[in-house]
Amino acid sequence: MADTLTPPTDGPEAPTNRPPAMHRLREWLQRRYVRHVLIITVVVGFALLPLCWLILAAMNQSGGPASTVMEDIQQTIFVFTLVSIPITSFVFAVLIYSLFGWKGKGGDAPPNNDNPAISNNITAVITWTVSSSLLAGFLVAWGLIELADITADSYGSQPTTGQLRNADEVVINVTGQQWVWTFEYPQYDKVTTDILYLPKDRPVLFNVTSVDVIHNFWAVELGVKVDANPGAITQTGVTPNKEGIFNVRCAELCGLHHAYMETEIRVMPQDAFDSMMRENGGGSPS
Amino acid sequence: MSTATIYQVEVPQPKQHGKPGGIMRHLNFFTGLIGGVVLALVFGFLMNIQFPAGAQTANFANAAAGPTFWAMMVGWVIGFMGGMGAFVGPIRWLLGRDLTHDDAEFMAGKDQGKFRYWRFTTDHKVVGIQYLIVAMIILGFGGLLAMLIRTELGATWMEVFNPDFYNSLVGTHGIAMVIAMIVIVSGPVGNFIVPLMCGARDMAFPRLNALSIWLLVCAVPPLILSLLVGGIRDGWSVYQPLNAQAGPGMIGYQTTIIVFAVSTALASVNIMTTILTMRAKGMTWSRTPILIYGSFAAAAMGLYAFPFYMYSQILSMTDRLINTSFFDPIEGGSVWLYENLFWLLGHPEVYVILIPSMAVLMELIPVFMRKPLFSYYMAIAGIVGVVGLSGLVWAHHMYMTGWAPQANYPFMLSTEMISIPVGFLVLVVIGTMWRGTFWSRLPMMAVFAVIFNKMIGGVTGIYLSDVPADQYFHGNMFVTAHFHYMLMGAGLFGAMGGIAYYFPKMTGRYLDERTGSIGFWTAFAGFQITFMSMFVAGLQGQPRRVLQFDSMFNISNWISTIGAYTIGIGMLIFLAAIISSWRSGQVASSNPWQAQTLDWQTATPVPLDNFPVLPVVTKLPYDYGVPDPLAPKTLEKEYDEKVGAPS
Repeated sequence: MADTLTPPTDGPEAPTNRPPAMHRLREWLQRRYVRHVLIITVVVGFALLPLCWLILAAMNQSGGPASTVMEDIQQTIFVFTLVSIPITSFVFAVLIYSLFGWKGKGGDAPPNNDNPAISNNITAVITWTVSSSLLAGFLVAWGLIELADITADSYGSQPTTGQLRNADEVVINVTGQQWVWTFEYPQYDKVTTDILYLPKDRPVLFNVTSVDVIHNFWAVELGVKVDANPGAITQTGVTPNKEGIFNVRCAELCGLHHAYMETEIRVMPQDAFDSMMRENGGGSPS
Repeated sequence: MSTATIYQVEVPQPKQHGKPGGIMRHLNFFTGLIGGVVLALVFGFLMNIQFPAGAQTANFANAAAGPTFWAMMVGWVIGFMGGMGAFVGPIRWLLGRDLTHDDAEFMAGKDQGKFRYWRFTTDHKVVGIQYLIVAMIILGFGGLLAMLIRTELGATWMEVFNPDFYNSLVGTHGIAMVIAMIVIVSGPVGNFIVPLMCGARDMAFPRLNALSIWLLVCAVPPLILSLLVGGIRDGWSVYQPLNAQAGPGMIGYQTTIIVFAVSTALASVNIMTTILTMRAKGMTWSRTPILIYGSFAAAAMGLYAFPFYMYSQILSMTDRLINTSFFDPIEGGSVWLYENLFWLLGHPEVYVILIPSMAVLMELIPVFMRKPLFSYYMAIAGIVGVVGLSGLVWAHHMYMTGWAPQANYPFMLSTEMISIPVGFLVLVVIGTMWRGTFWSRLPMMAVFAVIFNKMIGGVTGIYLSDVPADQYFHGNMFVTAHFHYMLMGAGLFGAMGGIAYYFPKMTGRYLDERTGSIGFWTAFAGFQITFMSMFVAGLQGQPRRVLQFDSMFNISNWISTIGAYTIGIGMLIFLAAIISSWRSGQVASSNPWQAQTLDWQTATPVPLDNFPVLPVVTKLPYDYGVPDPLAPKTLEKEYDEKVGAPS
């Protein structure tokens, strides 16, 4: 019985005189289908390229970035779109070439064709694994650096320490409740407004909380977003660098009138901000 | 031989009491329905006597919490399962009466015609079909709600529903679709196909199998009824403490989830045990078809993910009913605890939906390409990688909650890493397509649709995995569009391809190619219109789950609604194709796709014990175009000519 255990020796013999890798690559690249797939990849890639700017155009429709945080976010989205185009267009190119190049046949029985029995290709597997890992590694690295950058700009979304981190900053206590936002300015005699007034080019610290359910404080064009949690204060910050009227929306379902829980942000010069505070009965900064 | 002597041993047989089946002869879906309704009314009545409406405030934390409704739900579950005969087995055990062979055959639905589909039938093929039908019913219900949602969202001036009902629509649509998508591939494929593909006679635990499907059926009415008693107004994630404000409809949701989680756990254990212990002789781990790996992976993820969901709902329920405060911040609870428990389910669940659907596609691609599966080990590595990482990424749903900002860094890392194993699966698919002329039938065409959608869903997922980008996209329509690309674009369209592929085995007939394709591609076109414009709405800054929006979002929402109606029409056509083909489609042979897996090697309709003789496996079932003692001679000749050719 032992002889049945010996491995079968038939099958093609391993070629001993394989041409060098560069020759094989050149030979591979000269094949008709390879060239076609690569050409389609390039065409699809260039067709998708405008997306990088179209995405930003759509994001800027309501007023454009009004802080460095939002600029960083947009830059991240731009870069991510750019680096995902090559791999997406390669996959699309294979799909397209399969549909229109290699083609299919209908019928009730499988077409009796002579497809090559490729059950593996170690070069392709390694190339794919290495390139997708490099790509993912790049995205992770970019994300981590940008996150650290944004956290430095906005203090992250952290539980409050009760201390100012910047002597110059305006502190605003943001309170969400069903279904309005209120903004309290403790440095201006605790003035309370329902429109968010911000001075241009001055760091702002938001202490965000809620009195009932979870809301999400989203200052759209400033790139600020953090949950307003009942029973906890989350802290975040931003330095608006553009004057204008922007939007606050609630980005967490909070009940009946969630859709209407939005208000305006007015970013104005420092003196206009001061007079606005006085108008609301706040006096001068304490 | 030793096996022969085993069979000669006299085994004491249990005594037959009365007709085979005993009381089970009289129990079916309709007695279950009656039992459920009656017991629900009785329990509700008793609870009302004990705690009349006025007195509820004194005994319960929340007068609107509806202890009466809770009692009715408990009554429904017990009554329905009792009426179905789910407790007959355990009671028999207690009485020391084991099933005789005839009893077991009765339970398996032998010679009962179509009526066995209405019974507590243990045959895995019956259960598989039941799963398919139930999933399609839930899907139809969820789809109807989706149409209503898009009607409301057509434009700023389209105000059809009041905000309360609209929020209920959103929540119920979400949870109904999630349940439907979890079972639509894992259910029919895991129960009908996997045992066949393993070369087994049935699932490992046939009675648990029947229990899992009828628990699923039991979980559906509370979900639908909850629309009548306040609804699920808080999205499918029902975050606390918003959850606590909701009416008794929330109890319907919690009942559904608890029952569904038990059903899923039973189904998972059953599928995993079947795969681990009942694969045919010779089916080693390196000869196991990829679909079995996929089903196993989904079952394993479901098994550890669903308990978190169940706990979160049980704790919510006690918060509501007996004034505990797990999640109530005013009394020291934590809203973040709920979010963590919920998303510990929430993210693995996505892969519970996607992996079986991808596995079905990987199973059918070699058949329609007439080529081996490209890099089988890569496919396994992809599935294993996804399972491994799926449990480590949940908090990417919580980047913006302020829960633990420092944790955003590692969760961003693990989330972006998951694109690598998912990429393996894409490579396997396009590698199998490489240089092959395909057999252009509907299942194969679904592969193109799914890979297209999966790329878009995957790339947009990369934005969402990144914290800075998520700072714009969290809670935004962009997220909605992204997960629809994944769950519907890859999951549901994959399921449609899978249904088309297994239709001949399940029903003995082909799914009508022409009507099916028209429906499929109409739905596909509508899908692109709907969710591409939803991406645009998200980029413009529209939050999720709103009923009213700024007029700047009008155009994208209008287009999206038109697309949604197109999906609806496409799905109806596909449904019509399924129904008409099931009744009077073209009759198919037992192996119409000429596939090599074991499920196609048995007769159609599949006999009660699946295989006359249990098969023995000698190779991986993907060597199309490779010489095989059973393959026609011509293939062998071609191989000889090709064998020197470079790949």
